[in-house]
Amino acid sequence: MTTSEASTRERVVAMVAQILKVDPSKISGKDRLREDLGMDSLASLELLSCISDELDVDIELDEAMSLVTIDDACAFVDRVRAEQRGGAAS
Amino acid sequence: MAAPPPEPIALGLARASALGEALATPHATAAEADALPMVRAEATRLMARLADAATIDRDGEIPSALRATIAEAGLFGLTIPEEHGGAGFSLKATCAVIADLATVERSTAIMIGLHSGLGVRPLVELGTDDVRARYLPEIAAGERVASFSATEAEAGSDLTGIRTTGTLDGDAIRIDGEKAYVTNGSFAGCFTVLCRTPGLGGQRAHSLVFIPRETPGIGIGVEEDKLGIRGSSTVTVTFDAVRIPRELVLGEAGRGIDQAHAALSWGRTLMSAGCVGTARAALELALAHVNTRRQFGKTIGEFTASRAHIARMASRLYAAETLVRWSGHALASGQPIDELSLFVKVLASEASFEICDRALQLHGALGFLEPTGVARLLRDCRITRIFEGANDVLLVRGGAAVLGRRPSPEPLRLALGGALAPEAKSWQALHERFLAAAARVRAEHGVGVVRHQLVLQSIARANLALLVGLGCLLRAEARPDEFALGRHAAEDALAEVEEHLGALSRALHDETRVQALSELLYAPHAGGRAGSA
Repeated sequence: MTTSEASTRERVVAMVAQILKVDPSKISGKDRLREDLGMDSLASLELLSCISDELDVDIELDEAMSLVTIDDACAFVDRVRAEQRGGAAS
Repeated sequence: MAAPPPEPIALGLARASALGEALATPHATAAEADALPMVRAEATRLMARLADAATIDRDGEIPSALRATIAEAGLFGLTIPEEHGGAGFSLKATCAVIADLATVERSTAIMIGLHSGLGVRPLVELGTDDVRARYLPEIAAGERVASFSATEAEAGSDLTGIRTTGTLDGDAIRIDGEKAYVTNGSFAGCFTVLCRTPGLGGQRAHSLVFIPRETPGIGIGVEEDKLGIRGSSTVTVTFDAVRIPRELVLGEAGRGIDQAHAALSWGRTLMSAGCVGTARAALELALAHVNTRRQFGKTIGEFTASRAHIARMASRLYAAETLVRWSGHALASGQPIDELSLFVKVLASEASFEICDRALQLHGALGFLEPTGVARLLRDCRITRIFEGANDVLLVRGGAAVLGRRPSPEPLRLALGGALAPEAKSWQALHERFLAAAARVRAEHGVGVVRHQLVLQSIARANLALLVGLGCLLRAEARPDEFALGRHAAEDALAEVEEHLGALSRALHDETRVQALSELLYAPHAGGRAGSA
C-alpha cells in the first residue's frame, strides 16, 4: 500500500466513522456500505459527496452507485486522483 | 461492483405489448384469473355486511367478529404459499383484493395489507423450512396476525438511526429496544423486527428477526389517537431482553436493510392498492352526489367545472390503478420493484388525497360533515403520504436512483399506431427532453447532486409522470373500452412532465430562495426557543 493509498484509506474511514458515529478502528476496508455499515442509498451518496468535497475528486453519480465497499471507494478515489494529477501534468 | 438496477421505463418499452395487456387485468397468472373474481366477490360481500366504516372510525377498532370472518374467508392467507395454507396469490392479485377492501373500509384494508406484505413476506421468502412450516399455517388462518417493526422515535425515513439491537446471547439472540407506530401491534401474533445486530454481519449491520408474540419481554403500548384509519391498530412495542433462537433471524444476518427494502416494495404497492380503493369510494360518492344535487335549475354534475373535477378524479384513479398493476406485473415477471414501488406509492398516495379532496369540494359544505363519509375518506388517506416512506424523502431517493443509472445507449422508442399515435409521439419527445435534462444535471453536479433535494425531486416527479403516461397509453391501447379514460389520463401525465421539467430548470434558483427565507424564519426558533408572533 502506498503512502497516498494509506492516506486515502484513513481519511475515508474517518469520514465514515464521523457520519455513522462509530469507532474508526471497527471499520474494515471490506465492509460493504449497505450490508455491513447499514447505509442506505442516500446515506452512501452523502458519504461519497463528502469524499468528493474533502478529497477534491469528481465522482459521477452512476460511478458512486456502483461502489460497494470501503475498499472500492478508496481505490476509486486513488484512481481518479491519479488521473487528475496525470491530466494536470500533461 | 454492483450493476445498477434496470430502469422501469426501459423495461416497459422493451416489452410494451405484454405490459399493456398486463396493465389491463388485475391478475398475474391464468390460475389467478379463475380464482381472483371469487375471492374478490366474497371479500366485498363480507365487508359490505360487517364493516361499517363510520362505526369503525368512531370506535377506533375493527370488530373482532369482522376479523374472525375475514380469517374464515382466508384473507389472512392471500400471499402465503398454498402448501402452508394460504392462497398463494401474487402481489398483483392481492392488490385487487386490498383495493376492494379499502373501497368499503380502509382500516381493515390496512390491517390485511400490512399483514400480507411487510408482515408476512420476509418470513415467506427468508425463513427456514422449519420456521415457515411452524408459523405460516397459523398466520394464514389469521390465528397470528403479522406486523412489521422498523420505525423508531429517532429512526423514521433514515433507517440507519435504528437503535433496537439484537446481540448474541449464548445460542440465542437477545433483542432490546422500542419500535414506534407498529401497525396491527395490539393484536399481532408475531413481529418482524428490523434491528441492529453488531456481531452478526459488520459493525453496523442490521438484520430482520421474527419474534412470536408469546416470547417473554414484549410490551405493548396504548393505541395512538390518530387523524384517520382510526380502526387500525397503531402502538409502540418494546422489547426488553427478548430472547429468540438464532433460526428466527430471517435470511442472511446483516442484510436487514436490503431485506426491509424488499419487503417495503410489497408494502408500498399494497398500500397503494388501498389508495386505489379509497379513491374509488370517493369517486363513487362524488358521482352519486353531482348527479342528484341540484343548483341553478340543474344537477351540479351538468356544470363544466364539476365535470372537470370528475374527469380529473377518474384520470388520477386510472393512473394509480395502472401503476399498482405495473408494480405487481413487474414483480411477477422477475423484475426488481424497489424503485418502481417507490414511484407507485408517491403517485397513489397523492392521487387518492387529491381525489378525496375534490370529492369533498364537490359535496360543498355537506362534504365537511362526517355523515357523508367523504371527510373520513380524506382523513383515512392522509397518512399514506407519510408512512412506508415519507413522499418527500422517497422523491429524493427516486431522483438519485434515476440519475444514478447511465441511460441506455440504445434509443428507446414508443411506437403506437392508430388513435394514440399523437400521444405516443408527445411522450417520446418529452422522454427525450427528460433524458437530456438528466444528463445535464449529471454533468453539472456529479455526486454532489445529493445535496440538491429540489433537483432530485423534480427529476423524480418528471420520471413518475413519464411512467404514468407510458402505463396509461399502453393500457388504453390494450383495452379499447378504456380508450377515452386512458388517453385522458395520459394527457394529464404528459402535461405534468412539462410542469416538472420546468420546475427542474428553476430548482437551483428555488433552493436559493427558500434557503434565504428559511434562515429568516428559523432565526427566532434557533435553539428550540419559540418565536413571538
